[in-house]
Amino acid sequence: MTTAPETIDSTVLAALAATPRIDRLREAMLAEPRVVCADQALITTRVYREHAQEPVIVKRALALAAALRELPIRITPGELIVGNRTPSVRAGVITPEAGASWIDREIETLPTRPQDRFEVDAETIRAFREQIYPAWQGVSLEDVIRQRYGTEIDQIAKVVKINQKDHAQGHICPNTTKWLQHGPAGLAREASVRGATATGEQAEFYRAVEIAMQGVQEFALRYAERADALAETHPADAAELREVARIMRKLATGPAETFHEAVQATWLLFVVLHTESNASSFSPGRLDLALLPYYEAGIASGELTPEHALELIECLFLKFNQVVYLRNSHSAKYFAGFPIGFNIAVGGQDRAGNDVANPLSFLFLQAQKHLGLPQPNLSVRLHDDTDEALLKEAVRVVARGSGMPQFFNDRSVIPALEAVGVSHADALDYAIVGCVELTTQGNNLGWSDAAMFNLNKALELTLTGGIDLQTGQRIGPDNGSLTDFATWAELETAFARTIDHFIDAMIAACEVVERAHMDVLPTAFLSAVIDDCLTAGVDVTAGGALYDLSGIQMIQVASLADSLAALKQLVFDDGLISRERMLEALRADFVGYEVEQALMLNKAPKYGNDIAYVDELGEQWAGYFADRLAGYTNIRGGRYHTGMYTVSAHVPMGQNVGASPDGRKAGTPLADGGLSPVYGRDMAGPTAVLQSVSRMANEYTSNGGLLNLKFLPEFFDSETNVDKFAQFLRAFVALEVPHVQFNVVRREDLIAAKQDPDRYRSLTIRVAGYTAYFTELSGDLQDEIIARTTQDL
Amino acid sequence: MTEQAQKCPELAANVVDIRRFSTHDGHGIRTTIFLKGCSLACAWCQNPETISPRIRPVFFRGRCIDCGLCLEAGGDAVSQDAGGAVHVDTAAEADWETLTRVCPTGAIAYDAKRYTVSELVEIAQRDRVFFGEGGGVTVSGGEPLFLPHFAVALLRALREEGINTAIETALNVREEFLFEALPWVDHVFADCKLIDPEAHRRYTGRGNEQVLANLAALLRSDRRDDVTVRTPLIPGITDTVANIAGIARFISGIHPGVRYELLNYNPLAAAKYDVQPHLTYVFDTDENPRMLTRAQLAEFEDLARANGVSNLVTT
Repeated sequence: MTTAPETIDSTVLAALAATPRIDRLREAMLAEPRVVCADQALITTRVYREHAQEPVIVKRALALAAALRELPIRITPGELIVGNRTPSVRAGVITPEAGASWIDREIETLPTRPQDRFEVDAETIRAFREQIYPAWQGVSLEDVIRQRYGTEIDQIAKVVKINQKDHAQGHICPNTTKWLQHGPAGLAREASVRGATATGEQAEFYRAVEIAMQGVQEFALRYAERADALAETHPADAAELREVARIMRKLATGPAETFHEAVQATWLLFVVLHTESNASSFSPGRLDLALLPYYEAGIASGELTPEHALELIECLFLKFNQVVYLRNSHSAKYFAGFPIGFNIAVGGQDRAGNDVANPLSFLFLQAQKHLGLPQPNLSVRLHDDTDEALLKEAVRVVARGSGMPQFFNDRSVIPALEAVGVSHADALDYAIVGCVELTTQGNNLGWSDAAMFNLNKALELTLTGGIDLQTGQRIGPDNGSLTDFATWAELETAFARTIDHFIDAMIAACEVVERAHMDVLPTAFLSAVIDDCLTAGVDVTAGGALYDLSGIQMIQVASLADSLAALKQLVFDDGLISRERMLEALRADFVGYEVEQALMLNKAPKYGNDIAYVDELGEQWAGYFADRLAGYTNIRGGRYHTGMYTVSAHVPMGQNVGASPDGRKAGTPLADGGLSPVYGRDMAGPTAVLQSVSRMANEYTSNGGLLNLKFLPEFFDSETNVDKFAQFLRAFVALEVPHVQFNVVRREDLIAAKQDPDRYRSLTIRVAGYTAYFTELSGDLQDEIIARTTQDL
Repeated sequence: MTEQAQKCPELAANVVDIRRFSTHDGHGIRTTIFLKGCSLACAWCQNPETISPRIRPVFFRGRCIDCGLCLEAGGDAVSQDAGGAVHVDTAAEADWETLTRVCPTGAIAYDAKRYTVSELVEIAQRDRVFFGEGGGVTVSGGEPLFLPHFAVALLRALREEGINTAIETALNVREEFLFEALPWVDHVFADCKLIDPEAHRRYTGRGNEQVLANLAALLRSDRRDDVTVRTPLIPGITDTVANIAGIARFISGIHPGVRYELLNYNPLAAAKYDVQPHLTYVFDTDENPRMLTRAQLAEFEDLARANGVSNLVTT
């Protein structure tokens, strides 16, 4: 039975309130400190020592199973959904098999580092130094990659940031539907049957899957026992705890049947994935589809109400905030703010092209509205026939100011995925992993965060003949410098050669990294929920998935377009700045060249203003890069493709780039997002931004694109504006822009704009019949607006 | 106006700003075109750069980097003081064409740009995909009907492209021009600022006879339901009990179903007078009142209702 969108009473669903239980659990969770936990590291270290002769994949499975049997567990009375990989919530887990050396270097600074801090006690430090680290020196993923290719990776680091060097790669959407239907017991049986006739590495793979699944079954039973025990001592919560125990006991041996069981089974899957691989961005995908049969059956039988379903979903949402991920300090700069990437996509088309909006889609939005927490990363897929009520409800949730949900565009994403070889049905069924990375569901190792390529550094090295403006050292090829290029075409040729040089080097490094994951971090449990690993008997790291892609991010095309437009117009076309003088100005970081900088800032067009000239320069080079990349095959046999997004990397990537021809000072941030204009340079409003972005071909963002738009909170102040916003999103669909997310301008932004007007020039103040930019108002009037812009909406 | 005159894509006018994604100037998502030239000169005008029909040079001190590139071409209009700061007298005669070109930051600029009807239609078309059912183009100003031939040609051209149109007018124009434009306008936002003729003369430079006559004619016409009457609440000037009650009685007496909207005071406009040295804002900087509170606004809305307005537009 499917529910047609017109039968959804969205107003009823939207009126459901959060329960006191949820408020209580939420407060308790947020009050707990983040600590570093070495429990699992000790278990893994012991198991590897005891089973030194086993193949790596079996050792990994044994270590996982041991952890699931031995790790301390906790149930908080009141929880309807249980399970975690640590007894305290939001703990940072040490995973020495992936990376131990960086922890050795940084463990003392984790509580005080600038980004993403964790508390760490003396006992943990001692256990790490004495019992853990000695066993992993030279054999962890991090050290293996460093030994095999460390020097080469360092040499290109200012242009190419190679990722996944000291942790498992994650970034994958498991086949949740299969998991719900088979459970650990069913998957263990399948591995056992297939393993009976397999030999060699395939036999080892099946054996590892069985070991892992048996561990999961025991893990579930331990929770059942704990819940029963708690029921004895907590009579007020006994009924709920007995129900939890019943569910966990059932999931240990069979599939989920009720909605509560299915939600619990979903969370169990993600806990175990995070126990096996300490990584970011295991994403549930389209849960409004995967859970729908259980919801509908419950409603039909009268055993489930929408209110109870919402409470269960909110319990699940709380759980998504209880797993965080310990990154090294360098990585924390690029991926700041504990992004863990439990991405849920609601809405969009099904595999036959029909709109999927259903009551669960609304309940997920409602849960986000109630909780407003960073996880899950809630996404709404839009297409031409998106249910109007769902669209408007999503807008109302955006208006709450959490930046969620974000929006994805079926009209852009589906053809982009098809262009990299995904079947039409699988493309229709796409989901999102992590932040904005696109994936098919349950059958794809997208390796979406393989590397980031700093196109702006590549342009700098093209202008200087390979010399780093910041250090004066040679780090790139010498294809001549700006003063040698008599024509624009010569500059383009040299730029292309520089890009080619670094793509070659990047691919070589990516291959080493992927090979190391295959050798050091095979993942039998994950492989069991990724098609077609189990049928092929091949681990997902070794290419067992149906789709095997590698994603490279282009950093940042908006900044690049602005720089190229300034170079072309001011230097080559109009001759306002000579080639020599441009290079001198960049070398001097504009000190003594303020007039030239002003020309670059003000007299050259900027990306994001619906000016084809500059947008197309960005498009041209994004296209060049994507085309070159398409010529390479990764070691799993799949394609490389491109994305245009960053989390926070525009800041550290900008730190690596000297002064640039767009007038940007050395070391300052590049454009944010990935598709967004340089902040403050989009002077023609959001419709012009969408028009500019729409000039990028869909295929350049087959790995994901990210567009940030900012609005003052007053924009969301009425239901009339909800309609206007919905209309804006309909146009977003029509223009085939892949992604957009909306940030509400905060008081702090306005204060910053007052202090640093140049960066916020495009911030407009809207009053009927009136036109003005915030930064052109006098100080006291700015204060007036700041005063009326509240922090909490 | 002849049919031929109404269809003249080459007609041009001075445009202060074209604001895309305008959400406060009518239905849906709109592109608002601010034309230069107004037959009133309200002491609180929030777009003072639109009063004069002529394109004028302006100097944005905040953008100036004191590079001095303007000194050579500037003559008496430009000077540099002992501290190196550049001063620009925009009222002086000078080669402003050259000055706006050599200024690298845009600190010296013109306050408007000339556009033809066809150029404006092309710009409006760019956001067509955003207009949807309700959105379109709002012609504002200044007084959109200040150059009636241009206004009619623009509005007609937009409508013939299937674009919804609105105007924001102060109504101090000849009645025949208003009604010539009306067939090409989907919605009229008509200002009625002060009901007392003397006060109107004092604060806007003109009496309100023409305004009230046009308003009455509009509200008696078959387009009466496509009109929203608006009064900006200027503290101490228009936000008096007598004024709001008087306007409410006047308009509801003609058309009981009249749409009426009170616009809150916008203190931000004061900043624009810094670059309009020939104009003086009605309030001194340190006496610039704040916006009316929600409660104060509600009092005036109640007053309008008590005086016959049933169809009050509130946000």
